[in-house]
Amino acid sequence: MKMERFDVVVIGGGLPGCFSARELSRLKLEIVLLEAREDVCTGVSRANTAVVYPGHDHKPGTLKAEMTVRANASFDRLCEELDVPFSRCGSLMLSFGPRSDAALRKKLRQGRENGVPGLRLLSADEAYRLEPTIASGLSSALYASTAGTVNPWQLGIAACENAVQNGVRLRLNTRVIAMRRENDDYLLETDHGALQARAVVNCAGLAADRVQGLLFPPAVRIVPTAGDYLVLDRNSVGKPTHILQVEPEEGEKGLTVVPTVEGSLLLGPTERENALDYATTENGLAWVREQAAHLLPGLALDGTIRSFAAVRPNPQRQDGSSIHSFCIEHPAERFWSLIGIKTPGLTCARELGAFLARRLAEELAAEENAGFDPVRRGIRRAHGLPFEERKALAERDPDYGEIVCFCEDVTKAEVLEAVRRGAVTVDGVKRRVGTGMGRCQGARCEQKIAALIAEALGVPESAVRKDGPGSEIVRAAHENV
Amino acid sequence: MRTFKLLVVGAGAAGISAALAAWDAGCRDVLLLDRAESMGGILPQCLHEGFGLTTFGQELTGPEYTARLAEKLAGTGVVFLPGTEVLSVSEERIAVLSRRGAVERLRFERLILASGCRERSIGSLPVAGTRPAGIFTAGQAQERINLRHQDLGDEILILGSGDLGMIMARRFTLGGKHVIAVLEQAVQYGGMARNHRRCIEAFSIPLRCRMTVREIHGEGRIRGVTAEHIDSGEREFIACDTLVTALGLIPERELVRGLEDRDWLSLVGNCHHVHDIVDSAAAEAARIGSLVGKRLAV
Ligand SMILES: Cc1cc2nc3c(=O)[nH]c(=O)nc-3n(C[C@H](O)[C@H](O)[C@H](O)COP(=O)(O)OP(=O)(O)OC[C@H]3O[C@@H](n4cnc5c(N)ncnc54)[C@H](O)[C@@H]3O)c2cc1C
Ligand SMILES: Cc1cc2nc3c(=O)[nH]c(=O)nc-3n(C[C@H](O)[C@H](O)[C@H](O)COP(=O)(O)OP(=O)(O)OC[C@H]3O[C@@H](n4cnc5c(N)ncnc54)[C@H](O)[C@@H]3O)c2cc1C
Repeated sequence: MKMERFDVVVIGGGLPGCFSARELSRLKLEIVLLEAREDVCTGVSRANTAVVYPGHDHKPGTLKAEMTVRANASFDRLCEELDVPFSRCGSLMLSFGPRSDAALRKKLRQGRENGVPGLRLLSADEAYRLEPTIASGLSSALYASTAGTVNPWQLGIAACENAVQNGVRLRLNTRVIAMRRENDDYLLETDHGALQARAVVNCAGLAADRVQGLLFPPAVRIVPTAGDYLVLDRNSVGKPTHILQVEPEEGEKGLTVVPTVEGSLLLGPTERENALDYATTENGLAWVREQAAHLLPGLALDGTIRSFAAVRPNPQRQDGSSIHSFCIEHPAERFWSLIGIKTPGLTCARELGAFLARRLAEELAAEENAGFDPVRRGIRRAHGLPFEERKALAERDPDYGEIVCFCEDVTKAEVLEAVRRGAVTVDGVKRRVGTGMGRCQGARCEQKIAALIAEALGVPESAVRKDGPGSEIVRAAHENV
Repeated sequence: MRTFKLLVVGAGAAGISAALAAWDAGCRDVLLLDRAESMGGILPQCLHEGFGLTTFGQELTGPEYTARLAEKLAGTGVVFLPGTEVLSVSEERIAVLSRRGAVERLRFERLILASGCRERSIGSLPVAGTRPAGIFTAGQAQERINLRHQDLGDEILILGSGDLGMIMARRFTLGGKHVIAVLEQAVQYGGMARNHRRCIEAFSIPLRCRMTVREIHGEGRIRGVTAEHIDSGEREFIACDTLVTALGLIPERELVRGLEDRDWLSLVGNCHHVHDIVDSAAAEAARIGSLVGKRLAV
């Protein structure tokens, strides 16, 4: 049997993987994106703080600083191309004492040196005028007008769709389990057959060290830690309108608060060891609540609708020392690994992809793909449309009149389109059209969505999963007996 | 733009009762609508008996109770529009409706909101751990079992002993499932004594008071919880493959957020406050429906 051969295989459909595929598709190359799970953006890329950083957090001259500033400056355009909502709401880094005041001044200097526009050091009074929800006792604040927020999985899915639109082959449910070199090629064995490629881009997230280890001696290893978050309903009283980051006066971590593009409020994360899975801890959730009550005394925490945990892929050298920069490994020609891409990996996903694409363009002597189209159309949302447009839409496609998710106002047409575009689980639909993200957390729409997925895919409802492996929702569905 | 004197949102027991009473009081221009394809609100999924003792002098099932109301409604000129969601209501007394194939604006003089309530979800509690499949709210479980005939799991743990929690404990037991326990944080069950007797005692289902769930375990599917004895702080692992949450009901009033004090608006039934007994929701709704109907009478 003749083995399939590609120019580039991208391993891992997280944000950097999807964007690598997309940026590579600007070149005349045969590309395949392999993802172990049933969908893209189900790992680190799904649980994070969702902030598009301005770039004053990083030391001048570092790759992170350079990429973040560049990425931030072009984020509006990127989100326009990919048809993804982006909210440039601005951020306030908050100081409650002298030590933090000094830290803010340092960030201001750093930011100026990095070329971050729109940075301003504010007095407490000025900060309260911008954000009256903050507790008293503020000492100073660093305002960054260019900070914003984007929905991370929507961005990743959009990049993936755009990559596929430009010729990238997407293979889901395909895990790389072994690799070797044969002549000049890389040979990849997956749980669904083998394939051959001239180049490999390893974006396997938490497994990126092990994936590189399939072929090369270990150089970097990932030590996971975790963090907990809370999500509050969009109608919660006392919500701030800016991203808030507390610069802690004492050693520990400060809370980050993000008014998301969906309108909900994200609070977190904590910092803790022992990340075995995406499970939250009681202490972590209690810490977030305490910090939130402290920082935003008027915030109604009874508007909490969800908590979730994130896993941080911390890269370490073999001697145990941490790597603070983006860890881009190049163990052999035409083999690139992104290992342990933490914050600001969401902000810089496109930059990282573009960086790898430039390197591979040289190594593979690839030409430009003249047909590359950077524009991807998102799923048409009924919510928020002016009345006449919404009316016309429902008349054209009756499914646009049928509401499936009441809290978030999502129609049947949107759910079906999500499935058509690759959602095979209830959470896959959620990541594409926002179902189940509101007040009732899917209690009223989960069954309907599962039934729509089942019907569209021609499987029984008992085969439909909530999320990953083993998450079938019901045992057997004897409809209409 | 269509115009109605009275718009009733929600055709559960409260909404139907309000519409009927308004009609009887002389209002001849009533639109009753519901997002569901049929009438009754929560009632069609309540297959147990226990509805209507006050109103009809006998204990009916939810569907039977609905049928009685529907029959009365059929004798009036109230317009019923099923499968229709009210997307928004504005200050100018215009409602935007959406249903299959159509989105329309509609003008009304008075609005009776009878939108019922929603269930509090596990996400609102400070419960740690994972969020696997196999966690259902009690109402969701009831709908899946009674209306969709689905098999949710074998080893059932129920959190919360309100009426819904207790009724579902019995429902699972009658369906041949093993209800491990009903956990309740208070010192005694939360629902009505009648439901405790008929659903818990009659089936010897363990009711464990002063207990709550602190952590959920399981990766694809739930495999158990860490439960706490609230007074001693002692903890235990309880294995289960299904967790049913009956954490209470929240009146659903998002539609009229910010308009609550308008004189053209009335709230009836569970969106006004949670009624244990359907008769009480219906009676309240009828009283208000009648008042509103008189004002709008020709
Ligand atoms: C707590 C936290 C908060 C963050 N907040 C921000 C923020 O606010 N702003 C910001 O800019 N950045 C933020 N980031 C960074 C950003 O989320 C990450 O950089 C990015 O999501 C990393 O994605 P990834 O592709 O490396 O990992 P993942 O998203 O996990 O993707 C890796 C994929 O590879 C697949 N895979 C693994 N092994 C194999 C295999 N053998 N074969 C095939 N596929 C495989 C996995 O299934 C997975 O889908 C945050 C990160 C963390 C942890
Ligand atoms: C599981 C359970 C068991 C019960 N058991 C008993 C019992 O044994 N005996 C007893 O007497 N009582 C019982 N009750 C209580 C009683 O049934 C309820 O109090 C009563 O039925 C509530 O009626 P309602 O009309 O206020 O609300 P619902 O029945 O909830 O009706 C609200 C309606 O509004 C619709 N709606 C909401 N928003 C919109 C919108 N934006 N657009 C369109 N439509 C909308 C909904 O679709 C729904 O149909 C029980 C309740 C439950 C939940």
